[in-house]
Amino acid sequence: MSAPRKAAAKREAPAAKADPRERLRRVLFLVPYAVQHRGIPVKELAAKCGITEKELLEDLDFLLGVGCPPFAPDDFLDLYVEGDRVYVALHQSFSRPPRFTESEAAALGAAAQALGGEGKDRALAALRQSVPRDRRKSFDELMGRLYAGSPPAPGSVLGRLQRAIGERREVRLRYYTATREAESERTVRPWTLAQRFGHWYLYGFDLSRDRPLPFRLDRIRECALTDARFEAPGAAQLSKARLFSEAQGEAVRVRLAPRAAAWAVSRPGVVLVARDEDGGAVVEVPGANEDWATRFALSFGGDAEVIAPPAARRHFAETVRRSLARYR
Amino acid sequence: MQKAERLLDLAAFLLRAAEPVSWREIQEQFPGDYGGSEEAAIRKFERDKAELLELGIPVRWDAQDEDRPAGYLIDRDEFYLPNLELPPEDLVLLYLAGSAALAQGAFPYAKDLAHALNKLSFAARAPGASETAALAARHLSSDDAAPARPGGGGPLAQQLEELSAAVMAKKRVHLAYQGAERRARTERDVDPYGLYQSGSAWFLVGWCHLRRDVRTFHLARILELSVNAAAPRTPDFAVPAGFDLHALATRETWEYAIHAPERCTVRLEGPVSPEARASFGPRAQLREEDGAVVVELVATNAEALLRHVLALERAQVVAPARLRQQARAVLDRLAERLA
Repeated sequence: MSAPRKAAAKREAPAAKADPRERLRRVLFLVPYAVQHRGIPVKELAAKCGITEKELLEDLDFLLGVGCPPFAPDDFLDLYVEGDRVYVALHQSFSRPPRFTESEAAALGAAAQALGGEGKDRALAALRQSVPRDRRKSFDELMGRLYAGSPPAPGSVLGRLQRAIGERREVRLRYYTATREAESERTVRPWTLAQRFGHWYLYGFDLSRDRPLPFRLDRIRECALTDARFEAPGAAQLSKARLFSEAQGEAVRVRLAPRAAAWAVSRPGVVLVARDEDGGAVVEVPGANEDWATRFALSFGGDAEVIAPPAARRHFAETVRRSLARYR
Repeated sequence: MQKAERLLDLAAFLLRAAEPVSWREIQEQFPGDYGGSEEAAIRKFERDKAELLELGIPVRWDAQDEDRPAGYLIDRDEFYLPNLELPPEDLVLLYLAGSAALAQGAFPYAKDLAHALNKLSFAARAPGASETAALAARHLSSDDAAPARPGGGGPLAQQLEELSAAVMAKKRVHLAYQGAERRARTERDVDPYGLYQSGSAWFLVGWCHLRRDVRTFHLARILELSVNAAAPRTPDFAVPAGFDLHALATRETWEYAIHAPERCTVRLEGPVSPEARASFGPRAQLREEDGAVVVELVATNAEALLRHVLALERAQVVAPARLRQQARAVLDRLAERLA
């Protein structure tokens, strides 16, 4: 039976994907994950792998043809879907994923360098240890050739925040609010950290304001853990509460001259609305406030202006007038 | 047999073997794959071995000793991802940093990063809350319910993916590049030494064959990109021993070598926020004067300093006079248009 199965698998194998290596890496994760999470729903496993359900089912089909010589029935990988759930009957030693490749570890390492925190060096050392021994030199080299920015806040503040996020403990922050030029004390349930427009933010539920808010990490002067615990936010709550969603009304529109357009349109978070014939462009920045939009436009040194909504344009015009007054 | 299938079969075979497996035995077990002339078969096997290593599966040759015959093997301890012996807050750091980087939409080795984050859920013995926090970071940035496709995003994400691969394999790239100052399109070959992020922008650093010097390229200005496809496993260049990406990456934009060094003065009317002070970098000298902060620094790209100052609240260029006039002219033009 073994040979026919191998032959059949060969005949029925789905068309090769654009990147077969990507499929291999995926299945080397998929199999052990399904072993570890017996009966995981197809939908959940597909989401975890970053593929559609159809692609996952194709991967499972492909895996049915994998095994080891002499290819007796028990020598094949055996996975099946029952009632929309995935089960692994035989994993053929693929019960845990392989070690980090040097580029996987270096990408994670560069991200960790850029965020920082008290445990950064420990985390980097552990990553290095998790790369196969004879690839560690290559990992070191790659780490020297990637730089994703410097840590956004003092290590102690980050260290405490990371601990608080992990332990789901409320924090008391001393926070500098740029628009009011004042520091305030806040009690926050720290949900997560995220990067947007080149800055790092703590995103969490502000108890005194009674709503989720972003806090720029470099404006957090002090952070203290409290003993109060909180429940993790639900996915629905998070997907509603996007960064800057509080300020989001009409998206801010900026007109860019050709020189500025070349720089701006590829920036993360910037959406191209229209391209002029001369190379100029109109872009939208969803979720940006007036203040940010004004600074963004002025950072192109006269090659950009805020055009909508009216309130944002007025803010831009007033700032230009105030700045000009300084040069009289 | 398809290559993907053969590689997994081979890995399963070597993982299961109790002792090193001889080349003869491998040939016997995979007759359709490693048949033909001996030389061609060995070459094919060596290529497979290299690909397995790229997937994180180290296949090695083990010489004969008293207890074991010579042959190929996958050392299980070297293959399986170990547990990371890290305290929970360090795991939070890795999860948060990784998923926030991925959520930016463009990050080098984005596909690898997605795999790394997945693997992390195995390497961390009890990820729990940290994994939740990372999922939260992804939720904050993903715009729809469809699975995220790292590296499959916009043109910038694709460029970064291609350049990441070229940086690792040390393959020469060809760029059509739009210059910042003269706006001219140039074509050039570049040996990609490294990639860095500054603010929200990504930069390529490498040896520019056109200018015969190490140059920095803003990815948003790369109009076209192609990677030398010849001999993909053979490096095209070596990175010089003294190359320091960190030093280049931490330059302020007004420190790019565009013109001769020029002393500049900027005045910030108070109150001045700590981040406005910090925005001039570690080499600027700051002093208090009548409730204002006066910043002295050396610029080799005064245009960039001007842009920085314009975007800061309550800041003005004081010197040199030419730059001050330029600031005024820019603002005049804008004010006229806005009137």
